[in-house]
Amino acid sequence: MYPILVLSITGIITLFLGFLKSKKVLLPATLFFVTLAFFANLYDWNKPGLYFNNMLQVNNFTILLSAVILLSAFLIIALTKGFIDDEHAQPAEYFAILQFSLVGAIMMTGFQNLIMLFIGVEILSVSMYVLTGSDKRNLRGNEAALKYFLMGSFATGIMLFGIAMLYGANYSFNIDAARTVVTQMVSTQHSSVYLYVGVTFLLIGLLFKVSAAPFHFWTPDVYEGAPTIFTTFMSTIVKTAGFAAIYRILEVSFSPIYSFWWVMVIIMTVLSLIISNVTAVSQGSFKRMLAFSSVSHAGYMLMAVVGLSNKSDDSIVFYSLAYSLATISAFGVLMAVSKEKLVDGRPDESIAVLNGLSKRNPFLAFILAISMLSLAGIPLTAGFWGKFYVFSDAAFRGHIWLLVVAILMSAVGIYYYFKPIIAAYMRESEGEAISLTPFYKIILGITTFGSILLGLFPDLLRSLM
Amino acid sequence: MLSDFGIVLLALIFAAVALMLVFGISWLLRPKKPTIEKLTTYESGEDPIGNANIRFNIRFYVVALIFILFDVELVFLFPWATVFGNKEFIEQTNGQWGWFTLVEMVIFIVVLALGLAYVWAKGHLEWVKPEIKASKFKGKVPMSMYENVNKKYEEL
Repeated sequence: MYPILVLSITGIITLFLGFLKSKKVLLPATLFFVTLAFFANLYDWNKPGLYFNNMLQVNNFTILLSAVILLSAFLIIALTKGFIDDEHAQPAEYFAILQFSLVGAIMMTGFQNLIMLFIGVEILSVSMYVLTGSDKRNLRGNEAALKYFLMGSFATGIMLFGIAMLYGANYSFNIDAARTVVTQMVSTQHSSVYLYVGVTFLLIGLLFKVSAAPFHFWTPDVYEGAPTIFTTFMSTIVKTAGFAAIYRILEVSFSPIYSFWWVMVIIMTVLSLIISNVTAVSQGSFKRMLAFSSVSHAGYMLMAVVGLSNKSDDSIVFYSLAYSLATISAFGVLMAVSKEKLVDGRPDESIAVLNGLSKRNPFLAFILAISMLSLAGIPLTAGFWGKFYVFSDAAFRGHIWLLVVAILMSAVGIYYYFKPIIAAYMRESEGEAISLTPFYKIILGITTFGSILLGLFPDLLRSLM
Repeated sequence: MLSDFGIVLLALIFAAVALMLVFGISWLLRPKKPTIEKLTTYESGEDPIGNANIRFNIRFYVVALIFILFDVELVFLFPWATVFGNKEFIEQTNGQWGWFTLVEMVIFIVVLALGLAYVWAKGHLEWVKPEIKASKFKGKVPMSMYENVNKKYEEL
């Protein structure tokens, strides 16, 4: 609960820092604020409790998820370089909106009341709509923002309808009260149609936000149209927060009616895995490929939800962290490379732009290789253990054929994740060496080091739970 | 004794009567000089009927947006006002309730006021007129020639 307070205040401070003549103070200030929130978050470690009139819960699980969110946010904000290259950028507003969106994300990890969930989702989504369209002169960005806004608000409407139905069924917005009612319903064999409609619609709304199939249609266009830095934010933080919310609501309130929702979730998992992996194979744009890869990772994370074992929460934290680290490195490399070559006045974001990267900048090629290996789930990277844990969760409930599909689709994944690596190491280079600022190198180094470290010692994180 | 819904019904009736009264008085007192412009539906300065594929004047919407912000703030003040002076709560907490709620509301309003200050400083409150830039085109014909032509025709 402390990071919410900290970030709300520092967000406003950042807005007003924008009035200073020098824009250089904004990046260090924002990094400091996010670090402050990170440590304020850890302050509640081992001190679980309910805050704001039972609106928000803090326990070690929510703290770890918030920590993953804040760490990713720190790394992403560090990669922005303060937007000094772009004369049209409004860094103060971007950083303020980023901090406000983090407030929403943290609310989604620890909500105790469905109203809080709704507010959290909305804060995060509205911030994302704005940031998607932040490059006002880019037509594709405008299109993406409008598309995201229209479809996102529609999904929010569906989610709100679900919440209203749940209120009708449970007489309360509190998720613990909901569990009591649901347990009673199960024991007395008395079922309420409002409950089932509510659960379904709430799930649809939330799954839209994490872009699981069949609600993924906005993902490729929005990811491609948005400025790359905000695409990174969308694909890591929104996903982590969304899965925290899905897992929390299903685990706390609706685990007694597992037999009702598991079929639905498992169908969405299989659809996410198959559609995204098969479509990603034929993508020429690196950004679009990563968009489909994010849909497929939504599918993998849903496996932990389907499993709903007592280790599922650990798996979600681990998978979020592994996925976020790898995605941030991949987008970081893309940002550094793509701005070297312009197509129609925009950075070239095709896979071909990575050709011969190992000669132009061996460091970047290495970062790219590790992040792709981690996303593909090759052993000795964090991604492998992430997949391993979610697969064991699914096995816990005995969904063997789901495992078969997931493993087959991982094999498909390896094919397209190797395309950038092949481009970087085997293709001829065309272009000059790429120079990086030391700070940029350090941040990419941290993400890659994290991926390898968690790949070698996965228990570092698991032992915390 | 009225039930809660009875009070709502009373409020509805009162609102309807009050509206009719206000409109009725203004209908009696106002001069009646209708023009086509006056009779159209008010739509933030836009043509209410016609092609939607036109340029909108965004200034109306910025002001409307800022207005809504403070309108909503006012809406939130009403439920707060019903519990702020609650005698029972104040007695139970030895008067701390009043201070607590007051501070909460002050924080809420200060945050909104900061937003207003930000908007003000950014210049969104100014109703800027569109800048008309004078053309920088310089003709090869000297200005004195035009003047001579004018003089010539004035003499005629």
